[in-house]
Amino acid sequence: MIAQWKEIWQFRELLWTLILRELRVRYKNSALGFFWSLLNPLVTVMVMTVVFKYVMGMQIPNYSAYILVAYLPWTFFQYAILDSSQTIIGYMPVIKKIYFPRELLPLGATLANLVHFGLAMGVLFAYLYLIVGVPLQWSLLWLPVVIVSQFLLTLGLSMFISCLNAFYEDVKYLVSVGMQLLFFLSPVIYFSEQIRHTSMIPEAQRESLFWAYHLLNPVATLLMAYRKTILPPIHVEQQNPAMSAGRVVFPDMPLPLWLLFVNLGFSLLIAWLGMRYFDRKKWGFVERP
Amino acid sequence: MAAPEVLGGASAQQAPPAIQLEQLNKEFLLSHQPYASLKGLLLSFLPRRLEHLHAIKNLNLTVQAGETVAVIGKNGSGKSTLLGIIARVYKPTSGRCIVNGRVAPLLELGAGFHPDLTGLENIFFNAVILGLSRKQTQERLEQIVAFAELEEYIDAPIRTYSVGMLMRLGFSIAAHVDADILLVDEVLAVGDAQFQAKCYRKIQEFQTMGRSILFVSHDMEAVRKVARRAVWLHQGALQADGSTDEVIGQYLQAMNTPA
Ligand SMILES: Nc1ncnc2c1ncn2[C@@H]1O[C@H](COP(=O)(O)OP(=O)(O)O)[C@@H](O)[C@H]1O
Ligand SMILES: [Mg+2]
Repeated sequence: MIAQWKEIWQFRELLWTLILRELRVRYKNSALGFFWSLLNPLVTVMVMTVVFKYVMGMQIPNYSAYILVAYLPWTFFQYAILDSSQTIIGYMPVIKKIYFPRELLPLGATLANLVHFGLAMGVLFAYLYLIVGVPLQWSLLWLPVVIVSQFLLTLGLSMFISCLNAFYEDVKYLVSVGMQLLFFLSPVIYFSEQIRHTSMIPEAQRESLFWAYHLLNPVATLLMAYRKTILPPIHVEQQNPAMSAGRVVFPDMPLPLWLLFVNLGFSLLIAWLGMRYFDRKKWGFVERP
Repeated sequence: MAAPEVLGGASAQQAPPAIQLEQLNKEFLLSHQPYASLKGLLLSFLPRRLEHLHAIKNLNLTVQAGETVAVIGKNGSGKSTLLGIIARVYKPTSGRCIVNGRVAPLLELGAGFHPDLTGLENIFFNAVILGLSRKQTQERLEQIVAFAELEEYIDAPIRTYSVGMLMRLGFSIAAHVDADILLVDEVLAVGDAQFQAKCYRKIQEFQTMGRSILFVSHDMEAVRKVARRAVWLHQGALQADGSTDEVIGQYLQAMNTPA
């Protein structure tokens, strides 16, 4: 593991070349390209806002801010893994002819997505603090922990999936289906509190469902953590004509710090396992049928 | 089989050998599936006989620093596999492969380019892989393009290049990264006569600078011109090792007498 990272460090110029190349392709060689790349998430979030505010009757001030704060990390997770999964196959002509640490390929794709995520978050912060006027809050100090944890989790999964995809070409279909499922299983378009207070299951089991939801889905914890560290607490209110009560309120729940650190520990484990798995399999790339 | 001293300046003997292979073996697992898939994974749990292909057998070979060694042998005798192991593309199944110095590999059919990147991007990519910094690459960019004579095509994606153009670019990069060891696997044959001559001049330059070259070719004239020592690989094993003329003589004789 240490030898692996040492070698990556030796090849840092190559890593940088890979990251620049990914970003250049994404931004089509122009600074404007970065802003174009924001168009897609913005439109998506606008549509979600309209649907949830006016069709589903969610009553939340700045609803789109709460969605964006979870949607941007989600796109980082999703695209980092989808991009990484193609790298080994994509660079096979190079891999077959010349040596370099193969880890750089998924690592570079993940880092390029991290850079893009950072830039997008910069724009989001400018919007939140300069236009919406969101107050600065102390919990922002935990944000680096959240980002590190997400990066480690994403990197570990990228290592696994890029490897698997190199040997079994149908993995990519499973991954894209899995991503769609995970999107709905994670609090992007809804709030963790809604799981905790759902009227779908008996009162006595709600608490354990909530914790199971977070402990089994690290992405849920991360997205909740982004929301809680960046934005002030809110009570989600839903106007629900289908229910007899008419209006449901989901009171805010602060992020338990222990959950964040359990999450960080889990991400570290996944990153370690992912790197190890990759290390064991990487010499097989050139010999696959 | 001990390598006879063909080349032997006093200085070359003190420096550590450029390449040292000890009891080197490489086996490939032959799979009869056309492509890898999860279905294949499931099938692989069924009992079946896996075919092993012993591509390199117990190879011992030492190449001194500054020495040029030609590798000859029939198709499928393991020459490319050998160079691939030295280039660290393949991991040996057993044995040791010790390489002292930076290796610039020119393995058969293209030099490891990404088809979707432009010529320029590929130069950057390859030169940085081979050990130059981005700054050094920037400084040598013009030289590399000029040597390859590809000024007009350098911004086009590599997939639009002809085999000859790929070879030019690959050779030019390898020649400009200050590598200590050059691996040349049948690549020169695709260049035109004028460019081939240029490559041979560059190879001579390499030799006078004390770099090591492993040279694979079926062109015996070229082999005689480039190397004073040759090894003959037969079915993955070392069949002969000696002066180029001797080894070529044995090899051609074996070729002409049907077994
Ligand atoms: N990736 C691979 N998978 C399975 N077999 C291989 C692979 N690469 C080479 N071989 C086999 O190894 C043997 C040696 O091949 P090679 O080194 O390319 O020979 P040469 O370059 O001397 O023509 C051949 O029988 C070839 O089929
Ligand atoms: Mg060959």
